[in-house]
Amino acid sequence: MGRFSGFLVTLRQMGKPRLTTEYPKVKHDKPERLHGRHVLNRYEDGMEKCIGCELCAGVCPARCIYVRGADNPIDDPVSPGERYGFVYEINYLRCIHCDLCVEACPTEAITETKLFEFSFTNRSDAIYTKDQLLVDDAGRAQRLPWELWLGGEDDATSAWMRATSPSGASAYEGRVSWSGELGFGVRPPEHGQQPANPKPQDD
Amino acid sequence: MTTAEPQAQKTTVTVTVDGVTFEAQPGELVIKAAQEHGVYIPRFCWHERMEPVGMCRMCLVEIEGGRGYPPACTTPVADGMVVHTQTDAVKQIQDGVLEFLLINHPLDCPVCDRGGECPLQDQTLAFGPGESRFVEEKRHFPKPIPLSELVLLDRERCIQCARCIRFADEIAGDVLIDFVDRGDRMQVLNFEEQPFDSYFSGNTVQICPVGALTASQYRFRARPWDLSTVETSCTTCSMHCRGAVQSSSNRLVRLLAVDSEPVNHGWLCDKGRYGLEWVHSEHRLIEPQVRDGGVWSEVSWPDALDRAADAIETAKELHGADAIAVLGGARGTNEDAYVWSVLAKGVIGTDNVDAQLGDGLPAEFVLGMERAEIADLDRARAIVVLDHDLRDEVPVLFLRLRRAVLELGVPLVDLAPAAHGLSAHAAVIARTVPGEPLAANVHDEISRACEGRQGRVVVVVGRGNLAAAADSIVGAAAELARVHDVRFLSALRRGNVHGALDAGLAPGFLPGRTTLDAGRAWFTDQWGGVPAERGLDAEGILRAAADGKIRVLVLVGADPVSDFPDATLARRAIDAVDTIIAVDGFESESTKRAEVFLPCTLWGEKAGTVTNLEGRVQRVGRKVAPEGTAMDDWRIAAELALRLGRDLDLATVDEVTDEIARVAPAFAGVTSELVKSARDGAVLPVAGHLDEIVLRTGELSIMADDGSGTSWDPIKVHGEAPEEPADESEVTAHVDAPALHVWDRRAPQPEAPARDAYALRLVVGRALYDDGRLVSETPLLQRLVRDPDLRVHPSDLARIGVDSGGQVKVTSTRGSQVVAVRADAGVPAGIACMDFSADALGAALLVDAGQPVVDLRVESLR
Repeated sequence: MGRFSGFLVTLRQMGKPRLTTEYPKVKHDKPERLHGRHVLNRYEDGMEKCIGCELCAGVCPARCIYVRGADNPIDDPVSPGERYGFVYEINYLRCIHCDLCVEACPTEAITETKLFEFSFTNRSDAIYTKDQLLVDDAGRAQRLPWELWLGGEDDATSAWMRATSPSGASAYEGRVSWSGELGFGVRPPEHGQQPANPKPQDD
Repeated sequence: MTTAEPQAQKTTVTVTVDGVTFEAQPGELVIKAAQEHGVYIPRFCWHERMEPVGMCRMCLVEIEGGRGYPPACTTPVADGMVVHTQTDAVKQIQDGVLEFLLINHPLDCPVCDRGGECPLQDQTLAFGPGESRFVEEKRHFPKPIPLSELVLLDRERCIQCARCIRFADEIAGDVLIDFVDRGDRMQVLNFEEQPFDSYFSGNTVQICPVGALTASQYRFRARPWDLSTVETSCTTCSMHCRGAVQSSSNRLVRLLAVDSEPVNHGWLCDKGRYGLEWVHSEHRLIEPQVRDGGVWSEVSWPDALDRAADAIETAKELHGADAIAVLGGARGTNEDAYVWSVLAKGVIGTDNVDAQLGDGLPAEFVLGMERAEIADLDRARAIVVLDHDLRDEVPVLFLRLRRAVLELGVPLVDLAPAAHGLSAHAAVIARTVPGEPLAANVHDEISRACEGRQGRVVVVVGRGNLAAAADSIVGAAAELARVHDVRFLSALRRGNVHGALDAGLAPGFLPGRTTLDAGRAWFTDQWGGVPAERGLDAEGILRAAADGKIRVLVLVGADPVSDFPDATLARRAIDAVDTIIAVDGFESESTKRAEVFLPCTLWGEKAGTVTNLEGRVQRVGRKVAPEGTAMDDWRIAAELALRLGRDLDLATVDEVTDEIARVAPAFAGVTSELVKSARDGAVLPVAGHLDEIVLRTGELSIMADDGSGTSWDPIKVHGEAPEEPADESEVTAHVDAPALHVWDRRAPQPEAPARDAYALRLVVGRALYDDGRLVSETPLLQRLVRDPDLRVHPSDLARIGVDSGGQVKVTSTRGSQVVAVRADAGVPAGIACMDFSADALGAALLVDAGQPVVDLRVESLR
């Protein structure tokens, strides 16, 4: 046998299901809660959701977000209300995709896609500006040349649920509380969650 | 509740708050006494610098044996009082008050400028119910609406605490805002067609406990958590209010007032508060430049410095050191002024040095007079104002004066040439006429005003009239110096003019308030040489320059063409000088002709010490990195000295501070260490004010360390008196050091011509928003500049034959121009008041520095 014993290994594997895929042509489905690159969402009427409040920048542990607010032009407002995000930049060389910005956002302006396959050849590409982060008219993330988007990865970029409620009460856990927006509305609840918004019980 | 029993002469009362027992002063309010002993009682309307009103009901507490729940902000402590601030009943009240306040308060915290540093947010978190039962629609107003150019009002957010209204009324005396309507429609508003244009409006933004009042300058510029803060002093005028300057992304964005008991009591004027933008102006010159064949070109620092040093060296060789003059130095720090003083007097050897541009008072008087402190105003026997309008010149000193007169009842003797903000409250008014001595009965009037009162008489003396020679003010001061137990408080307005004078940037003086003659031996020892004899002051320098006797003129942040009262003379001088070396941040009318331009750092970009009008040395902080390659003034001077063959061996600001403390007699003991550890700085000379030093025990209370953030209103730095008083030997000057200069009280009497019936005597003062660089490079303040007009008594107006608002032609010996005229009953007959400005409308073209006074012919244009 001796010298053929190695082939036995191959033969043994031939009948088993194949785990290797032709990445990047074929990708594994990503976990529900994967944190990828961000998008800035819009309302159905095209108004930006970001109000430039800098809460995301304040909470960011990597300090990778830079936001500046400005007065909304009265005749051509960018967002509802007094203030809009005049500058919005995320430095993806620093971002650790922790999603705290998404939790901090009071208007659900910033959410994350499933995309993590993006690489840069220079620093300025790595710093995403507001123009690049904003969703397009259909509500889908823009596809930048250095990003590898495959089918379905820009679906369900939004309407995520909070792990806990802002006040920390466990009764809110898993409650889908976000409104739907342009194009990509509420994602179905995960396994074990209530479908609608049940009145939370006091604990 | 007060127990009047004679309890063994105890001067304090024993109070227990939440189990903490302490001694408090009788009459102290429960809320304040508790806070000082570590128990914070929530509040919105109460502010420790204003009268309590008990409007917000947030501070209700339970007092054992008392009925109901009294507000802690209106209840004075009493002996044996036991207060509870955390009982269930009190908690229920706090929940109720907060829930009630939040009924109509919008939850737009993410876009509110106050969000993150908001007393309502913080106290709701700390004391509130957590959830609201209110589900109905909130009250809505259009927002924001401007109350003035500087202050915006969001009526939805207002919780009707009346802090702003009370500030405007009680502190500033500008009753321009008040409540209108009742019930849930109650709102703060200005009166119709009358904006809230108080000089102090920015303070209402800082004390607003919600985001109802916001500053247009700071609107959406940053959020509290991306600000970084440094404690500093504002050097817009010579008051040097304590402040906390904040920056975001290396740009100055905000200045907050810090409550300093001896100086500003937590207030700032709007010019100081909002005059930050000029530092980042696009017009700033931030690279060294030299002129080659009439064309500016940017060069490296070594090239520019070489060129400047060459010019100085050549002029000195060919024409002697007296052909070189240095003007300015009042804009920088003490360190800047000192090293420039060393360069001019020790290295170059010229005494033609002046930090004042003919708009101040002689250094002999300012440096030698018996000085009062600002706090002396509060306990004075009487206050004499020998100035024009303090509200325009040193605004926060005006607030201190106003408090002393109105709140503490100190009688005011008003000797200003025309009515001003405090004249209505004066006990005695005796208008001085420019060029004429004080009224003969002024001593009787002063003693009448202070009858039955103890303390000193404090004379606030400034250069009230730029159109009259300073001699007349010194003469009047000499007259007042005969009053028993009198002290003087200088009201010279220019940024760090007192520091510059103390550092020797005045003819005939050396650093530390010593005269050239007294300090010759000592400073020759220290510096290797001093000028042989007294040089020229600013007017003398400009005259000599116009005559071609000054070859090199160094302008250290000075613009004589715009700032010297006699613009005609200044322009002639600038045009006649061979070489101008400018050390500045901007191109000005004067630096336009410069051969070498050396960009210097401005306030906010440099650290060091400054001296205010009472002689208090405090620190200024560096918050942002300088623009371009701008250098500190002192470093520029040190570099020039090196090129002129003298290594001053100074590497850091602290080294300069320490050298000043070692060399300059008045600064003895004011080491960098002392200035850092003393919370309120130190008043010069320190030996006489040792007991006033308070050591800092903490940093700025802008945000509480634990994030609770409820303790920073007002912003303070904690401190305590040192356990052992400092050793006096450490703060006295070296035995060989010269004595301090003392004013000889000589009263020069200028020979002013008698007033004739056809002319009006001109009084020129400074408006707060003038055409200075800070205002002109800050667009927001630029909008507040008024066109200068001629203010005359209504009877004179009738005599001229024009209506108020009409145009008149005014003619002085210098020139003539057309200005608008306005009737002002506060101006005495025969006098005309005008604001100083150097442009075509201003008074600078009418003033003749050679004349003791300026008389105007006024003709109607019809």
